[in-house]
Amino acid sequence: MTVKSFPRGGVHPREFKESTAGSPIREIPLAPELVVSLSQHLGAPCEPAVKVGERVLAGQKIGDCQAFISAPIHSPVSGIVKAIEPRPTMTGAMMNSMVIVPDAEQESVPPGERRDWRTLDVEEIRNIVRAAGIVGLGGAAFPASVKITPPKDKPIDSVIINGCECEPFLTCDHAIMLARPDDLIEATRMIMKAVGAGKGYIGIETNKPDAIKLLAEKLQAEPDISVVSCEVMYPQGAEKQLIKAVVNREVPPGMLPSEVGAIVHNVGTALAMLDAVTDGIPMTTRVVTVTGAVNAPGNIEVAIGTPVAHLLEQCGGFKGDAGKVILGGPMTGWAINDLSIPVQKGTSGVVVLSREYVDTNPVVACVRCGKCIDVCPMGLMPNLIGIYGERGLYDKAEKWNVMDCFECGACAYVCPSKRIMVEWVRQAKQAINAKRRQQREAKA
Amino acid sequence: MTESKLLLTPPPHLKQGDAIMHAMRDVILALLPVTAVAFYFYRLNAVAMWVLCVGGAILTEMIVRPLLGKKPEIGNLSSVVTGWLLALCFSPTTAWWTAVLGAVLAVGVAKELMGGLGWNWFNPALFGRVVPVLFYPLFGWMGTALGSARISFAMPDMVSQATPLAMLKGYGMAGAPSLTEMLTFYPAGGALGEISAGAVILGGIFLIVRKHISWRIPVVMTATVLVLTAVLGAPPVHHVLAGGLLLAAFFMATDWVTAPVTPNGRLLYGVAIGVLVVLFRLYGGSPEGVGYSVLLMNPAARWIDRMTRPKVFGQA
Repeated sequence: MTVKSFPRGGVHPREFKESTAGSPIREIPLAPELVVSLSQHLGAPCEPAVKVGERVLAGQKIGDCQAFISAPIHSPVSGIVKAIEPRPTMTGAMMNSMVIVPDAEQESVPPGERRDWRTLDVEEIRNIVRAAGIVGLGGAAFPASVKITPPKDKPIDSVIINGCECEPFLTCDHAIMLARPDDLIEATRMIMKAVGAGKGYIGIETNKPDAIKLLAEKLQAEPDISVVSCEVMYPQGAEKQLIKAVVNREVPPGMLPSEVGAIVHNVGTALAMLDAVTDGIPMTTRVVTVTGAVNAPGNIEVAIGTPVAHLLEQCGGFKGDAGKVILGGPMTGWAINDLSIPVQKGTSGVVVLSREYVDTNPVVACVRCGKCIDVCPMGLMPNLIGIYGERGLYDKAEKWNVMDCFECGACAYVCPSKRIMVEWVRQAKQAINAKRRQQREAKA
Repeated sequence: MTESKLLLTPPPHLKQGDAIMHAMRDVILALLPVTAVAFYFYRLNAVAMWVLCVGGAILTEMIVRPLLGKKPEIGNLSSVVTGWLLALCFSPTTAWWTAVLGAVLAVGVAKELMGGLGWNWFNPALFGRVVPVLFYPLFGWMGTALGSARISFAMPDMVSQATPLAMLKGYGMAGAPSLTEMLTFYPAGGALGEISAGAVILGGIFLIVRKHISWRIPVVMTATVLVLTAVLGAPPVHHVLAGGLLLAAFFMATDWVTAPVTPNGRLLYGVAIGVLVVLFRLYGGSPEGVGYSVLLMNPAARWIDRMTRPKVFGQA
């Protein structure tokens, strides 16, 4: 079997997947209080659809928004809405959130009739995905309905299902692939129908040989979907890199994958879409890898809105000296120090980094070793972008393609001066986006 | 569960272990073979040169940085490496004050006054080696005042011959050392770092394997010298093995701060230095040709970076 990869850059951090790899998905008791944020996706936040004091059912829509790039929010439990107020989220920003106290009944919205996606038309599938509040589960939380609505002049021929899980520590996608291989193939077919693509691919890094074997066996008689073995190389699971590895097409700077006739969905997202279309299940839970310095690590099915503190308690609490708690993977995730912050749709992991793995070397001047250039998968010069970002020279950062950076952090991972490129890139992008908005408004 | 001790530093939260100090430590390891050979053949003269340069470099950092309102950072080993490389550039008979002056100029002027490690435009060690010669009128009084005090411990294994490079220039191939001698040991009184091409290559390969330097600059620079000398009718292999070429190719031209960072920029830089070396050697008169070549290209590094920007992913 040939192993595919993206052509330049990349790093190979220690994987740390041993403690949860292959461990089955486990359920935990509900938290005494859920904090469901009304902004869990890239795009416009939702407005509350229920009032304080109201009783909601599991699966009931509690927030919605009419903007194209958005996704409604549903209650994961039945219970009473205790408050609607700003609560801290992983980025540190306060976001309007719905505080729900689960009741003993745990009553759900009555399920509709089981549907067969083969009998639905494309528009119906998109509408169901939208109404179910599905966003990308890989981390970016981009509304899934938008991705399966490509521009009319951009025909899609390839659907790529992303099972790379290139972030160290995380194993939730691996667990999902092992648990529901047939459904994953079914979901791939459904997405192929939704975008009119003739070919489907499931990209998996070679450190998950059991998943590759399982899916490849099931796909033996299905020529239109194939499993693609990908090299264990970070960031293999990044959208543009995966498209390059799987179908050998490069998405031009500033463009979307539809430009080259491809779309990419994470395995969890694909399954959530299938569940929504087939069984009418909205997105109210997800699988989270709780791992690192915890006593009982695992892949946990978690209700959206569950505070991290509750999740950690259910996983046996900290083991030894915890240096960082990271929501998401250790390369791109957010460090938090307030454990009341809840799991959101985009939270793929809760990684407790033991103090011994936390690098506390100070940030010093760039020594021009060039390692960041060698590892940048986008062909950028992170050394220059970092210096410009650090000093607030955002025009120069823009000239050196800061907007093409997708913040994988490979540069900062290898930097001997411990420079925080990703942080500076974010600051630069924020300033540049603000400037562009201003220019647009000035023109209008 | 205690939350207060949890850190909030930005991603990525995993880092490859190496800090600057680790890279410098590896450079020191890479310099051990050639230093050991120099110590063996030049005995206490070489040891004294090493002590003066490394000690001078450390002391300079400890004095100059506080004067600039910064804390000394001896722990990153940068000054140790600068002093060490400087020592390897001097011959065992260099006047002691020249060595100390070189160390002060290298760390004090070339590095700290330029803004510290990362901001220097010239390779500090080569700067310290070359400036006292270039600006002899400025520093010559020191020699007069201090006497031309040489370090004069006995050197039993000294070969009383001209350095291979001087031979190549003056006397042609007759009497030039064999390639085997130059690859292994040739203690002809040149700089400490010129005593064994093999030991230098060994250290250089170690740095490439450890991914601290790219093969591009040393390989292209050496290849340029090989080809160009052959074309111009000079003995190519002797030119590569003689003098400070390999030491410069592996340890000075690859200096992180003062060399280009882009892959193509490094190729270009290697060719340019190689061409300059051949010009200095075949048509110039000074024995510091390799040093001048690297120093001349140093300020071009940042410009070369901008000229050789890599292709952005997806760009047509």
